[in-house]
Amino acid sequence: MTYVYYLLLSALLFALGAYGAMRRRSVLLLLMSVELMLNAANLGLITFARAWGSLAAQGAALLVVALAAAEVAVGLALVVAVFRVRESTTVDDLSELKG
Amino acid sequence: MNLFDLVAGVVLLLTGFLAVQSKNAVHAALALAANFIVMGTVFMRLEARFLGWIEIIVYAGAIMVLFIFVIMLLYDAKADLGVDPLPWLRLWAPGVAALLFLGLAWAFFGFKAPLDAATAKAALFGGTAQALGPVLWRDWLYAVLLVAALLLVATVAAVALVKPEGGEER
Repeated sequence: MTYVYYLLLSALLFALGAYGAMRRRSVLLLLMSVELMLNAANLGLITFARAWGSLAAQGAALLVVALAAAEVAVGLALVVAVFRVRESTTVDDLSELKG
Repeated sequence: MNLFDLVAGVVLLLTGFLAVQSKNAVHAALALAANFIVMGTVFMRLEARFLGWIEIIVYAGAIMVLFIFVIMLLYDAKADLGVDPLPWLRLWAPGVAALLFLGLAWAFFGFKAPLDAATAKAALFGGTAQALGPVLWRDWLYAVLLVAALLLVATVAAVALVKPEGGEER
């Protein structure tokens, strides 16, 4: 089996997601980069589950998927709510909390 | 290592790169959806069949459709807008990402599997729902209940956040 290959792939995808999170300025694209990072972490978990023959890591990966769904639901609701007030989804425009 | 691993790796990296680099938000969302679908097949290859399907149904199905829906709703397809108040952060981004990758790669590189592949594969029972269910509902029960509560709260919060302000009671 090629565990190290998949672990390196997961590291690369995680780094790509971090790059996107630093580079992007629209909230939507930022959230997408975070999703990419969560997914890369899941790939790492599943590769380790395969290597150890343990289903516990697969359970953890399932919880990560559920957390990502909750995060996206609240995140996108915030984006829509903020867009109504600010007419913008750029994070730099949201530097003050005053409505 | 076979042809599937190579092709899946190349597609994952390509779509991941497009997702963080695309100027058009719709293109980025579609690239990310493709990334999730290929990731689901990789999960199945790594003996996590149930999670592979969950990945495709929840991530590529629900989450990415939600993203595309919001992009269309807000007409927010542009990635770059206006002046950039933090130019140094964007300059440092490639270096920080490369450092992060090198650190992770350094940690992963000497990884030796504790079991031989056949024993580990037999212990996973293919990662089907029948194998994963008892683990989730026995060992991980409290975590599952907490995540369920979190999902419920998130759903209520999402509805409450987008409710029009000062709207009269119906």
